[in-house]
Amino acid sequence: MVNEIAILDTKQMNFALPEDLLMMQRSVREFAKREIEPLAAELDKRPQFPWQTLSMMGEMGLLGIMTPERYGGAGLDTLSYVVLLEEIAAADAAHSTIMGVTSGLPQDILLNHGSAAQKERYLPKLASGEWIGSFCLSEPHCGSDAVAMKARALKVDGGYKLSGTKAWITSGGEAQVYLVMAKTDPTAGARGVSCFVIEKGTPGMYFGKPEEKLGQHAAITTTVSFDDCFVGDDALVGSLGQGFVIAMSSLDSGRIGIGAQAVGISRAAFELARLYAAERQAFGKSIREFQGVSFKLADMATRIEAARLLTYRAAWLKDRGYRVTQEAAMAKLFASETSAFVTHQALQILGGYGYSKDYPAERYFRDARVTEIYEGTSEIQRMVIARQVYRDLGN
Amino acid sequence: MKIICIIKQVPDAEARIRSTAAGIDLEGVTFVIDGMDEYGVEQALRIRESGVEAEIIAVALGPKRYEEAIRTALAMGADRAIHLETEEAFDPITQAKLLAKVVGEEAADLLLVGGKEADWDSAALGAATAEALGWPHSDWTTELELTANSAKVTHDADEGSEVLTLPLPAVITTQQGLNEPRYPTLPNIMKAKRKELKKLSLDDVGGAVSKIVILKQEIQTRERLNKIIEGDPMEAAQQLVKLLQQDKVI
Repeated sequence: MVNEIAILDTKQMNFALPEDLLMMQRSVREFAKREIEPLAAELDKRPQFPWQTLSMMGEMGLLGIMTPERYGGAGLDTLSYVVLLEEIAAADAAHSTIMGVTSGLPQDILLNHGSAAQKERYLPKLASGEWIGSFCLSEPHCGSDAVAMKARALKVDGGYKLSGTKAWITSGGEAQVYLVMAKTDPTAGARGVSCFVIEKGTPGMYFGKPEEKLGQHAAITTTVSFDDCFVGDDALVGSLGQGFVIAMSSLDSGRIGIGAQAVGISRAAFELARLYAAERQAFGKSIREFQGVSFKLADMATRIEAARLLTYRAAWLKDRGYRVTQEAAMAKLFASETSAFVTHQALQILGGYGYSKDYPAERYFRDARVTEIYEGTSEIQRMVIARQVYRDLGN
Repeated sequence: MKIICIIKQVPDAEARIRSTAAGIDLEGVTFVIDGMDEYGVEQALRIRESGVEAEIIAVALGPKRYEEAIRTALAMGADRAIHLETEEAFDPITQAKLLAKVVGEEAADLLLVGGKEADWDSAALGAATAEALGWPHSDWTTELELTANSAKVTHDADEGSEVLTLPLPAVITTQQGLNEPRYPTLPNIMKAKRKELKKLSLDDVGGAVSKIVILKQEIQTRERLNKIIEGDPMEAAQQLVKLLQQDKVI
């Protein structure tokens, strides 16, 4: 197993976060608590894309954390990213989803695979939050089985013509930049997929109406359709047929991000339940004095801590250049299932109030659910982990 | 010009503070820069951003833990900082005298001080520092506009507000409404670590003896008797009067 990595690294084991990261964490926590958290309930009831707070996040550098400074980003590492993403998620999950998508996918992909011109054009606007980025891989009939996609990019004079429909697109219709996967050679399987960067407003590009979802309502999700949508040759990201590889390479960091997000939602639910359990009286004492409640809180805290450590470790390894497919999948799997457990228990501790919209417990419960679904379902994560585990046997 | 902002570090407003026989127990409490001081730093930054060439210096008098609040001021955009470090607690008048020495040595043109400290609720520091420096002072300031060598301010008076002009150098104490302080950006937080934070000891400014010795500290609590009088309003009122007389309230 990968624990050998610790031996390869001569640095001693150290669980302390760097001092400036702690200061960023405090600062972002304060910001999220003051500016984002008070909006969460209203955004859940009457969803709208939170442009105003996103623009504040952009000013602070939160929407381009890992993008280098020369492209207007903060130039920080994956560990900083997950620590700060958790803070946003604890205030409002929808904000953290938009943040995760615009920073984890389009910026990561353009930085690693984009041409110099594409980097110059898109990265500064995305990193500053002036533009929001989006990622189009799934289709109505396929998600993780991306090779089954039907979207087609036909080579024409001077560029490509795209047709097809992409589904579950976070920030659809709101984002200005879309990284779109489409088949340039339908006979070539995974090698027939290419990646394109397409701007909102390109003729032939259409957005569906926002999906009605269980939670995270402000992270607007739509379909994005292409009908003979022409893009120039300069819209191709990476080389022809490299799209699948590009999409897969961004998954690891995307999954670590979901881990951090799930930890953030869990933390918010746990803190609410802990406070409520201290205040609520029953049979002459606060309910946290009952073993039934205290054991719940102990289990919640333990699982959150474990989920956070898995997430931090995956990020830390990635920052040191290790391939983290297994670690990212484990962090995502455990953290998202932890968020389901923790938000369920938090709602239970709040009882009737937990079920009521007067308290945010039910919102945490709904918001957490999708972390077990997007960026690969829990089942997909288990497949990925099992494959890695078998590989250790050499077959 | 040179603008100095006085920085204090106080317990976070949401911190749960315990009181013990030995005094206030601050173990495990999160400390933050005093919100009132943030208005001062923000105002200094806005003055600079309006085109005035200004060096902004954060100055603090307090224990080692104040460093964190000083770093916050640097992360917001202050250029450098001076920390007069002491674990001793001083009364506002003595604090003012010590700070006035630092301010005077730097030959600052403008001193911004938080209008009221969030922990001990004292509003004396700004006025006392102005006195120690012999500078004019505007308290509870809600608007500040600089001209070449004066400051035009709007500040709260007992009933209404006054507009004053003060020659520089001057002391301005801040309050809510002066501005909306910014959040430090991630790149600025990283830069803050590399900015100069000069340490001074009490000896460097001639030492001091506090005018006040703290014998005991207690947290203000509101104990309620939770007596609820029920029944007929007339009878209840009579009973209430009786109880109030009994407790010598009326």
